[in-house]
Amino acid sequence: MLILHDLEPYHWAVAGAGIGVLTLVLLFVLRRRLGISTGFENLCSLVVKAPYFRRPSLAASHGWRLPLLGGLALGGALSAVLGGGWAPIWDLGMFDAFIGMGPAGKVAWMFAGGVLIGFGTRMAGGCTSGHGIFGMANLERSGLMATLSFMGAGVITTNVIYRLLVGV
Amino acid sequence: MWCAYVLFGTVFGWLLSRSGAADYDFVQGMFLFTELQLYGIIGVGVAVALPGIWWIKRRGTGLGGVPVTVTPKARHRGNVVGGALFGVGWSLTGMCPGPILVNVGEGKLYAIAAFAGVLVGASLFGVTYERWRKLLGLPDVAAKD
Repeated sequence: MLILHDLEPYHWAVAGAGIGVLTLVLLFVLRRRLGISTGFENLCSLVVKAPYFRRPSLAASHGWRLPLLGGLALGGALSAVLGGGWAPIWDLGMFDAFIGMGPAGKVAWMFAGGVLIGFGTRMAGGCTSGHGIFGMANLERSGLMATLSFMGAGVITTNVIYRLLVGV
Repeated sequence: MWCAYVLFGTVFGWLLSRSGAADYDFVQGMFLFTELQLYGIIGVGVAVALPGIWWIKRRGTGLGGVPVTVTPKARHRGNVVGGALFGVGWSLTGMCPGPILVNVGEGKLYAIAAFAGVLVGASLFGVTYERWRKLLGLPDVAAKD
């Protein structure tokens, strides 16, 4: 069950097929390679003026990456509204059960994790979508290496936290 | 044209929201190997996209005969080093980049902190890029897309 309204999630085959088809629609109809985390650079470039963010190819992709990021949030909002109503949520499932921090602790924890995600995905040149789905489906070595690396690091981190430190 | 991307993002975001991909417990379950839902999703997603991408590349065109080019992502040491940092962050937050925005939309307040962190992290990488470029063999800024 999902944390969101205890909804029953879609079958993995249905959800996976949906994501595969969306990837192909994006490439075939809109002629774009699926990728989310580069969009964070588009956002950063609006404020941070380092040369890295001033490359012309980045500004050229504002027009599609920024609306896509907005759409993702909209999709989440719609899912909440139609799944039982939108309301602010602090619930965090296993985290509440085994680690149990208050709102301030959660904010600090999430911010720290977010910094690693922002820094790491930009260093890796992609995330789960660009490397994991598209890169692997296009048989790219970079995609395979990045995917093995982030899955491995995730497995180690979660096992250290939940099996070693709090003992699920 | 931007509305098409909002629509695409909305459908994608809905799927991430309702499949468990944007759910803290499903992400931890994946890394603990106690819940295989997300492995199934990634596996089927890749399996469906693979023949389609191959076919579109062979055609060389998309809908209406417009040329489509697929540029493979550059291979460098950053794939592994950056990937590992991202993996730690994915485990801590239970969110990868798409689901961060989905969770913000769902109303999960802590996801706003993760989103702020992501922007700080990406900015930090951008301003220190030259330091990592040689060390990790990253592509030149001008060549990056």
